[in-house]
Amino acid sequence: MQNIELTKRAETVNELLARYGVKFGIYKNNEFKEQLFPFDTIPRIIRKDEFAYLERGLKQRVMALNCFIRDIYGEKKIIRDKVVPEEFVYISSGYLAPCDGVLPPRGIYAHIAGIDLVQGRNDEWYVLEDNLRVPSGASYPMIAREICRKSSPATFETYHVEDNRYYAKLLRRTMDYVNTGGHTVILTPGRYNAAYFEHSYFAEKTGAHLATGSELMVEDDYLYFVDYSGRREKVGAVYRRISDEYLDPMTFNEESVIGIPHIYDVYRKGHVALLNAPGNGVADDKGIYYFVPKMVRYYLGEEPILQNAPTYLPYYEEDMRYVLEHFDDLVLKDVAEAGGYGVVFADRMTAQQKADFIALLKREPRRFIAQEVIDFKDIDIVENARRVPRKADLRAFVLMADEPIVWKSGLTRFSRDPDSFIVNSSQGGGFKDTWVLSQ
Amino acid sequence: MKTLQFHYHMEIAFSEPVHSHIFTLKCLPQTGGTQRIKTCVYRISPGGRVQEGTDSFGNRMLYGTAEEEHSLFLVDVTGTAVTDVQDPDMPQNTPDVSIYRYRTPLTQPGRRIGELLEHCRKRTAGMSLYDKALVYMEAVHGSIQYGRGVTDINTAAEDALALGRGVCQDYSHILLALCREDRIPSRYVVGMLTGDGESHAWVEMYDGARWYGFDPTNNLPVEDSHIKISHGRDYRDCSINRGVFTGQAAQRQSILVEVTENGGTSV
Amino acid sequence: MGIISVENLDRLFWLGRYSERVYTSARLFADSFDRMIDMDMENYAAFCRQLDIPNIYSSREDFCSRYISDENDPNSIYSNLMRAYDNAIVLRNEIGSEPITYIQLSVYDMKKSKVSRAPLVGLQKVEDNILAFWGIVDDMIEDENIRNVIKVGKRIERLDLYGRLQMDRESIVREVHRLAGRIERTNLHYDEKNLIELKKLAEEEQIDYDRIVALVDTLRKD
Repeated sequence: MQNIELTKRAETVNELLARYGVKFGIYKNNEFKEQLFPFDTIPRIIRKDEFAYLERGLKQRVMALNCFIRDIYGEKKIIRDKVVPEEFVYISSGYLAPCDGVLPPRGIYAHIAGIDLVQGRNDEWYVLEDNLRVPSGASYPMIAREICRKSSPATFETYHVEDNRYYAKLLRRTMDYVNTGGHTVILTPGRYNAAYFEHSYFAEKTGAHLATGSELMVEDDYLYFVDYSGRREKVGAVYRRISDEYLDPMTFNEESVIGIPHIYDVYRKGHVALLNAPGNGVADDKGIYYFVPKMVRYYLGEEPILQNAPTYLPYYEEDMRYVLEHFDDLVLKDVAEAGGYGVVFADRMTAQQKADFIALLKREPRRFIAQEVIDFKDIDIVENARRVPRKADLRAFVLMADEPIVWKSGLTRFSRDPDSFIVNSSQGGGFKDTWVLSQ
Repeated sequence: MKTLQFHYHMEIAFSEPVHSHIFTLKCLPQTGGTQRIKTCVYRISPGGRVQEGTDSFGNRMLYGTAEEEHSLFLVDVTGTAVTDVQDPDMPQNTPDVSIYRYRTPLTQPGRRIGELLEHCRKRTAGMSLYDKALVYMEAVHGSIQYGRGVTDINTAAEDALALGRGVCQDYSHILLALCREDRIPSRYVVGMLTGDGESHAWVEMYDGARWYGFDPTNNLPVEDSHIKISHGRDYRDCSINRGVFTGQAAQRQSILVEVTENGGTSV
Repeated sequence: MGIISVENLDRLFWLGRYSERVYTSARLFADSFDRMIDMDMENYAAFCRQLDIPNIYSSREDFCSRYISDENDPNSIYSNLMRAYDNAIVLRNEIGSEPITYIQLSVYDMKKSKVSRAPLVGLQKVEDNILAFWGIVDDMIEDENIRNVIKVGKRIERLDLYGRLQMDRESIVREVHRLAGRIERTNLHYDEKNLIELKKLAEEEQIDYDRIVALVDTLRKD
């Protein structure tokens, strides 16, 4: 794998990435800036059999998560059977009371799931996080592949890599499957959103219509797109890239100006599909994460194929004891934070910070989870013409229509800082293509 | 049982004409628990197209858009209700009570709620839930003075208690904060009360079989003089009116409620 | 899918206008720059007057650097290019990724010419990219209405600039006819009376430039 021709074409690849404006937005000192998303040409390579294993595990996990959300906003059996304590559900910021009793079209909640995994030095894969709200990132490996094939056709003659550009078709199929009759729209907060490139790229590639909230309206219990002549076109599916709280000022945050008033009421009546379903946050909460393997057993009656990183809930006395005894070996995560924020490594705290943190932990045990620090398997990147090892994760995408389908690729993000575990683009990380070998 | 005539009237006066006024109203009482709504008629002006729906708490909603330009928006609801109906076949509207056991931002306890709770707990050891609720209600009633203009719709229970003054919303939030610390399912209720000119708020608690109403503002168990409109976890789930409109205008909302007894008590 | 919101229709129009403004002002600048090398160092004052932009420049060097690439000068070619970019970037759905790349490449080339002692070389690349952009718009965009709206923006901008510059009669007549032939094929709202008067003015021996500029500026009615 040392001789991938593509890695000699980094300059061409980067030129093309710039040409196509492969960027993400970021706010620095309250000013919006567009930045190129740093790309490293050395791909993450996943063997065919290894991916087949991941695929089975990911399907299983997303099926169980979907069952969980349906149960929580429906019968609540898993609470009654005391598999998940009810306070973990009801105090979660992702639990939305207005979603109770609302069944989305075809009963699907997590249409597009982004599951974050890491590989340990022992070659074992661990799930770090489930993203069931608006996971972003699939557009980047998709366009990067297009560009890499252009830049180095020889590479793809030598290596047999599953094409990943069918993601647009998968996405379209997922949207069409739940469409209640009408146009398909990708709803964006606008060009000053971090992932605007992705929103517009998906719209182009799927043939869906890109719209902001002000271009859509509700009338007589249906959702319409209004064109320049005042003509109304019915909308049957909305892949919305704005978060739940801003979706509808009449049900959620009253101050929202990027949402569509009454869209939630129309959805409640089954007159439009929303992807992903509002309220999904209850299942990708860091506190709920602990329970996902239990969900797999509970709903599917199967042993979980993929494992979580070893996790402790200080909420349980036994776990609290363990956490206090092994404090220095653990990473602690605030369940309410996302994007790499609210993550602390105990061994990097001063004595005072430690004491303060433990006091906080005892006061609000429900707020934190503790995890063993995984000994990551590093991935090489090219930096100043040298190969250097860096931490990286993999966001796998699972799309749910009549059955879950795992995209044969994924977003590999790496940390550019050799001492950091944080791979988020908002904190300076870069990305790689993810190759799934076809032979 | 008692038969009551009710009339709920809300007006929003705009300083400048507005248009495309999108609204959601939760203003219709419905049959359930211990009340039966015999008649109920509503009028919305300017009307436009209005849809009906039900929210996740089981409240009836009216929603739509008043397209035309207007400086006055009004909602008028009249009808007849029978209260204090003790009938096991009445819809109880209790699909899930657990959600009402947990705190919300408006009912988040602080030091003062904690102290009030300690004080209550000492006096309620071994009591039934209903008797305990009476003690809690009385304690809340005595904990602040009734007064307007000190708190607003965003005041949390703990802050109202610290201020020492408040309105029915604040009394109710404080009582909810106490109950939820004891994991008693309890919910915020918006409704109407005989002899009161405005909409009112109180609390319902679930004892494992049914919901009981307690009015901490008046230190009064809910029997036959309250008509319920809606319920939720706190005020925010029950706002009677939510709206967005196009136009630069200040708005002033006024509410007039009239509940009168009709034909005295019946058997 | 053939439905366009009011906002995006407007953006298509302005994308056409700003791309034209960048292209024509870059060409005009090239002429002026050539004269300023060794013939008429103060020529920029006349340039500003002609284009009806405030002469805020202190010297030839100041003009050459700021008029090309100062992001804080609202009349600079760079500022106009960024306006074209801001419109293009939200029209991926309507015009597609490929046409946008040419606007994007113009931005990069413009940034490069900022530091160059020979700015016309960089500007030439910007012009090439704008020409390629128009070419691909013509070639790749299937929706006729979208194509026409961009072109109407371009034609209106060009006639406006030519009118201000008091270009020769032939150029004006040609641009009036190109605009008239195009605008009738769009769904844009425009003032028919204005268009008739424009066509009439183009028949006169003596061109009334001020009137033409006034009519062009009020032709579109949204």
